[in-house]
Order: sequence, then C-alpha cells, then structure tokens
Amino acid sequence: MTIMQYIALFFIFGGLFFLFVGVLGLIRLPDLYTRMHAMGKCDTLGTGMMLIGIMIFIGDITNATKLLMIGAMVATINPVITHLIAKTAYNRGTPMAEGSFVINDYVASQRRRRSQQLETLTEKEGGKNE
Amino acid sequence: MISSILNWVVIGVIVISLMAIARAYKGPTVLDRVVAMNIITTNVVIIILIFSYLDNSYYYIDVAFVFVLGVFIGTLCILKLLREGHII
Repeated sequence: MTIMQYIALFFIFGGLFFLFVGVLGLIRLPDLYTRMHAMGKCDTLGTGMMLIGIMIFIGDITNATKLLMIGAMVATINPVITHLIAKTAYNRGTPMAEGSFVINDYVASQRRRRSQQLETLTEKEGGKNE
Repeated sequence: MISSILNWVVIGVIVISLMAIARAYKGPTVLDRVVAMNIITTNVVIIILIFSYLDNSYYYIDVAFVFVLGVFIGTLCILKLLREGHII
C-alpha cells in the first residue's frame, strides 16, 4: 500500500465516523428539529469525506471529475432539503420537545413582509384611483 | 487488502442504513421518515461508488449521478405534497 492509499483510507474512515455520529443523533435525540440538525451537518460532511477518499483511490482525472460533480450536487441538495423539511415541519405544527426555548423570528419576518406587500398594494391602488 | 477493507466499509455503511431504518420504523411523524430516507439514499450513493471502484466498472458513477437527481426530485415532491396537499 502506498501513502496515497493510506490518506484515502483515512478520509474514508473519517466519513464513516461522521455518518455514524449523524445516525446516532437521528436515533437518540428527542425532537424532529434536533434530529434534522444532526442529519443535515453530519451527512453532508461524511459524504464529502467519503467522496474525497474514493476520488484518491480511483486516481483517474475524468472519473474524479464526475465524483467532484456528485460531491457538489450533494453539498447543494442536502441543505436545500433540510431547509424545506424545517419549513414544512413548522407549517404543519410539529411539536417540539418539552422544555425547549423558542425564539421565533419566522413569524416576525412573515408579518413584516406581509405589511410591506399591503403597503405596495395600497400605493398602486391609490395611483389607479387618482 | 484494499478490497477487503472496502468490503468492511460497505458493511459498516449498511449497518448505518439499518439504524436509519429503525428510526423510519419508529418515527412518530412523517417528516422523521423523510429525514431517515434522506440518510439512506446518500448511503446508497456511497455503496454504488465503492462497488464501482472494486469492480473497475466506472459506468456506475453515472448511475449514482442520476440516482442523486431522482431522489432530489422525489423528496421535493413529497415535501410539496405534505405542505400544500397536491403536487401539480
């Protein structure tokens, strides 16, 4: 085994460790939001490290570029999915764990946006009426 | 040497997927199951790539590429169905 293969095995086992920690959080944590928090970080990091390891193993530039594209795609898709799951859970009213401390910025931002929309609507209608 | 180590890595990834399946079986809401499904699909991508290296058949990388895109569209459709009650 050459030294590059040792480096690749280091990356692969690091990725396996992070995937394991993420699934441990998925099983142990008490709440949907905290589980999603564990999934969204550890899954992206673990998959990225695994892909780097396999890329070093393959060593061919064309296939390594394809793996880089898969890595970029996973790194953009996973945060989008996590954000949408959080928004869906909030809109469906999924209960939080007991004793959780809530700072709700989402309602305030929605109210602000709604009032701005109302202001622009009234301005437009006033212009038409005049 | 390397192939046996990578086989054990694949077995470890399968064990991680089984732990996620336990959460998908037990999970009280639908969204827990969506989260568990997300983890399982990324594990399937990793398994496909490791087997493409072990087999020296690199066409499977394109399979993993298409799999990632299809799973993304599927999860988007499930979340839109849960939010609005209809997809299209």
